[in-house]
Amino acid sequence: MPAFLPMVIGIAIILLLAYTLWPFLKSRQASKPEIKQEKPLFMEEYAGELSIPAPQQTPEPVPELPGSYGIDRLILMVKDPYWLYAYWEITATSMEEITSRYGPMIWENSKPVLRVYDVTGIIFNGANANRYFDCALGGNADDWHINAAEANRSFCVDLGRLFPDGSFITLLRSNIVTTPRDSLSDRLDEEWMWIEGLYTKFQMGISSPLIIEEISERMGEIPLGISSPGFYDSHVN
Amino acid sequence: MYKGYLCMILHAHLPYVRHPEHENFLEEKWLFEAITETYIPLINAFERLAEEGVPFRLTISLSPTLLSMLTDGLLQERYSRHLNKIIELSDKEAGRTYNTPFHQSALMYQDQFKRSRDTFYSYQGNLVKAFKKFQDLDRLEIMTCAATHGFLPLMMNNKNAIRAQIRTAVDLHARQTGRQPEGIWLPECAYTPGIDPLLKDYGLKYFILDTHGLLFASHRPRYGVYAPIFCPSGVAAFGRDTESSKQVWSSNEGYPGDFDYREFYRDIGFDLDFEYVKPYIHPDGIRIHTGIKHFRITGKSDHKEAYVPSNAREKAAIHAGNFMFNRKLQVEFISSIMDRPPIIVAPYDAELFGHWWFEGPLWLEILMKKIHFDQNTFSLITPGEYLKRHGYNQVATPCASSWGHKGYNEVWLCDKNDWIYKHLHVASDRMVELAEKLYHAAGLQVRALNQAARELMLAQSSDWAFIMNTGTMTEYAVRRTKTHLDNFLRLYYEIKENRIDEGWLYHLESKNNAFPDIDFRSYADRTVA
Repeated sequence: MPAFLPMVIGIAIILLLAYTLWPFLKSRQASKPEIKQEKPLFMEEYAGELSIPAPQQTPEPVPELPGSYGIDRLILMVKDPYWLYAYWEITATSMEEITSRYGPMIWENSKPVLRVYDVTGIIFNGANANRYFDCALGGNADDWHINAAEANRSFCVDLGRLFPDGSFITLLRSNIVTTPRDSLSDRLDEEWMWIEGLYTKFQMGISSPLIIEEISERMGEIPLGISSPGFYDSHVN
Repeated sequence: MYKGYLCMILHAHLPYVRHPEHENFLEEKWLFEAITETYIPLINAFERLAEEGVPFRLTISLSPTLLSMLTDGLLQERYSRHLNKIIELSDKEAGRTYNTPFHQSALMYQDQFKRSRDTFYSYQGNLVKAFKKFQDLDRLEIMTCAATHGFLPLMMNNKNAIRAQIRTAVDLHARQTGRQPEGIWLPECAYTPGIDPLLKDYGLKYFILDTHGLLFASHRPRYGVYAPIFCPSGVAAFGRDTESSKQVWSSNEGYPGDFDYREFYRDIGFDLDFEYVKPYIHPDGIRIHTGIKHFRITGKSDHKEAYVPSNAREKAAIHAGNFMFNRKLQVEFISSIMDRPPIIVAPYDAELFGHWWFEGPLWLEILMKKIHFDQNTFSLITPGEYLKRHGYNQVATPCASSWGHKGYNEVWLCDKNDWIYKHLHVASDRMVELAEKLYHAAGLQVRALNQAARELMLAQSSDWAFIMNTGTMTEYAVRRTKTHLDNFLRLYYEIKENRIDEGWLYHLESKNNAFPDIDFRSYADRTVA
């Protein structure tokens, strides 16, 4: 029996060692294939797992943006030669001011409109527009697509209240924008310039360029939308 | 002698899609696909042309977001891993297709991907070096673009926001390419009067417009789109030629629709057994494009046959010959009615070459060769070189325009995306307010201000509005817009109220790290070039 004792102890030690070292050996074995090195290409190691910790597994919720910013503003933008876009915000303070100036009934007695002024070629003072038209707005609208229907004209817009008797008060006035041209210019006088204006500009006088006539004949078929984004419209969708 | 010029322009741009927070982000694949299918094949084409001594001249615009991504360590490392995966897949495909009609195609991908890896490694993972190399050899003229591809005409109510987009772009460009850019690709070719003086302030000499942007200028341009005009500020505007574009773009007559060319929509990521492709698609089991597509367009129906690389090569050569022949006719005709050599400006989205039109880079390579060896009617030129030779030009103000559908701003301002502007505009105004007030800020404040500028610019990418309009991937575009704006607004209040959360700032800086050297002072009134 005593003769077996060292052997039993020996086996026990081996088992114990095997037991304690097993996870280490195993992990070494398991990690072996991953050690396979690519050609070292980068100065830093960016293990995907080591980069910036993701706060959550699921995508972060999309934040909601403020509905208003506490600024009185009416911004006018150009969509194309015939359409404009306006958005606005009117602060509670301004609303109160108007109520106190015109009386609490103003909101019930009037309707919200956008008054669109054609201000081409003038310095607009609020009363000298070439012409204007009104867009009736829905109750809670805070933006509007406006059909101005005229290329190469300048516009300014008022957000206001229209009363049954036809009177109009302005709440906000926009910036001025100009719609793009939708055709060749009628101006045939030419001005020429050396690169970067190194030489003074001078007039060449009116000419009748052949190339324009050639191009005019083809005007109908100039495809405006065949390039990149247009390409996507027709191919990808 | 040459009677005219051809100016080929490739506009390379991708929005900033870097997502360190997830190992596998679908949108990062846009970048990887573009690298494998477009940028590297173009670089390989340039290399072969240079080896053969073909003195080609091309213009390419590298958008600042693309420059930032191509030089980013994390994305380079991820791309390298992605490349190894698709090489592994192409090896399997070479075996799987043995003795089938698809074997040639499989071998082609195997070869292409391995070559891509060699190319990628030969530039130490930084492909901007490759473009710079060909720039320094005078083969490429590299244009810049607005920092995050912001749609400038819809930012006109705050010119400082436009200035910051341009200054950030020009600075990054000079740092990465070693040269001040001479030209700028206006995002979406979108122009409105008033932008050109801002370009001039940063030393930019020219930009590219769609055809009607030039034709509908304030004064009729004598030469139509076949010569640039000078804006009153002295910056030159070149106009896109429609004929040369149509040959490539048009869905019916365009070259990419040829039946021998590769079919884009039949990818093995969708076609093959799920278990087989599983390791190469999204880990959540979402099937995606692997880039291996074995069919040719074949015909108008759904019936598709195997892609034969040699036949496609032949077609690319035929189409290159056809393109050159048509340009010759065009130059001969136009030069006969003009008293100076016409320039034909042919701009394309770079990513359509290779990614969409698989044979596009090859077509371009053959075209460059043919133009050099097979004709002497016209020569290749870049806009910068044209202006050096022809410094005397007509003055007119170009027409507000873009190259989007219908030619104006509608794609980026319609009922699907109009809501973004009230937020973007207020954010721009607030950024200017901060830059003015804290112009002399230091330390943590500067970091927060610079990050605020990054978040604002990232929200301004025209890509988001475009995606919202087209209706695919809308959710991602909305998320990106709202998240960057929300980050901006939080930073704005933290900076203003002097309670900057440094931990969160660090998180943002590591995540949205475009333009490492951005300077928020670009937004200040007092910073004029």
